[in-house]
Amino acid sequence: MGLMATSIPVQIPATLRSECGGQSQLVVYAATVGEALLQLEQNYPAVYRSVCDETGTVRRHVHLFVNSDLVFGDNSFDTPLNSGDIFFIMPAVSGG
Amino acid sequence: MAERLILCIGTKKGLFIAESGKTRHRFELRGPFRPGVGVYSALIDQRGTKPTIFASSCCPFFGMKILRSTDLGQTFKETKSAPAFPKDDGRALANIWSLEPGSGKRDLLCGVEPASLFRSKDGGNSWELVPGISNHEHSRQWHPGNGGLCMHTIVREGNRMHLGISTGGHYLSEDGGKTFNASNNGVGAGFVPDPYPEFGQCVHKIATHPDAPGRLYMQNHGGWEDRPGIGVLRSDDHGHTWRSIAAGLPSDFGFPIVVHPHNAETIYVVPLDPATRTCPENRPAVWRSDNGGDNWKRLAKGLPKKESYFTILRDAMTIDHLKSPSLYFGTTTGQLWIGRESGDQWDCLFDSLPPINCVKVAVV
Repeated sequence: MGLMATSIPVQIPATLRSECGGQSQLVVYAATVGEALLQLEQNYPAVYRSVCDETGTVRRHVHLFVNSDLVFGDNSFDTPLNSGDIFFIMPAVSGG
Repeated sequence: MAERLILCIGTKKGLFIAESGKTRHRFELRGPFRPGVGVYSALIDQRGTKPTIFASSCCPFFGMKILRSTDLGQTFKETKSAPAFPKDDGRALANIWSLEPGSGKRDLLCGVEPASLFRSKDGGNSWELVPGISNHEHSRQWHPGNGGLCMHTIVREGNRMHLGISTGGHYLSEDGGKTFNASNNGVGAGFVPDPYPEFGQCVHKIATHPDAPGRLYMQNHGGWEDRPGIGVLRSDDHGHTWRSIAAGLPSDFGFPIVVHPHNAETIYVVPLDPATRTCPENRPAVWRSDNGGDNWKRLAKGLPKKESYFTILRDAMTIDHLKSPSLYFGTTTGQLWIGRESGDQWDCLFDSLPPINCVKVAVV
């Protein structure tokens, strides 16, 4: 049985809010990180393009977190999202 | 309104606009627009009734944008979209290196990294990949130079189109951009066993003049002791064959090459030491030829005489089209210089900008 989709708040960093009408938080209905990104692509394409490149890869200087856990690795898009989770989009630290 | 001179200065940390009257005595600076974001290419498009400025905004965090200004660089807005590879292509846009007018009134051409060409038919709001070069059979064999695998030069000459790719070489279309062939006969390479390969050269810049159809000048990646003279080249047959015009220069390595607006025989280069990419003996100078590359003259009046360690990048030198034109170059140390009287007298206009990637000028 597949995971159950649930309502997940998506925290948008200040530098990306211009891509979604100034909103600091969006909501997706998703069971995994991959599903959340797919909904961003459909509903907020400018935000999605800032997070993922044309191949669907998360940009090198963007980090995704579920709560305080960094989402990374080969199966990162399968990371489950559960009721109460918060999905964060963050600019990665760059420079010294 | 009296004619004004507009300079677009693309830097590592945003776009600046400098404006002056035709005397070019005093320039006023505004910006940065998109502060903190690299700008590698700009275009002052004068085809319409009102000039439009375009610039690439290349954010390493969140991707690429095209900026557009219809008020001479007072304000900039993003176009509705930027070039992007089709989803199933497998390539992702890494940088925007060139913006040039296309053949139609609102057509734009855009060269990107990884080396590919995009075309817009609506002033930059939507873009399509130009397959003739972007999916060329050679394209997966090109490889990046120090600046990345970039299509940095787009030169239109009637139905012909010349492209400069680093490292891919010179590609020529003679059917308006539908198909392209590598056209590097005489263009050398110092970093592969074959000194004159079919393609794969590290072309740095190509320049033409509208009054001299068929004539092209190229700054290629020179500086090879065992393959001398391959860095500065000229073609007189629309880029089918090339010959060296480097004799007389202190180095055949450099990035920009610029043609005088009123004389196709007058060209400018900035020779650099190939190892340090700074001017020989750390004394910057622009070199001018008044006879199509047969002889060269050093122009350094007003430039520092010692202890200068900057590089001038491929798109960081340009020339205006006034009766007595001035040259402009920007440095990787953030200085913008003006070479008055066709480069005979140099003055520093701005000395503390961010590192400069590109400089474009227009009289509007």
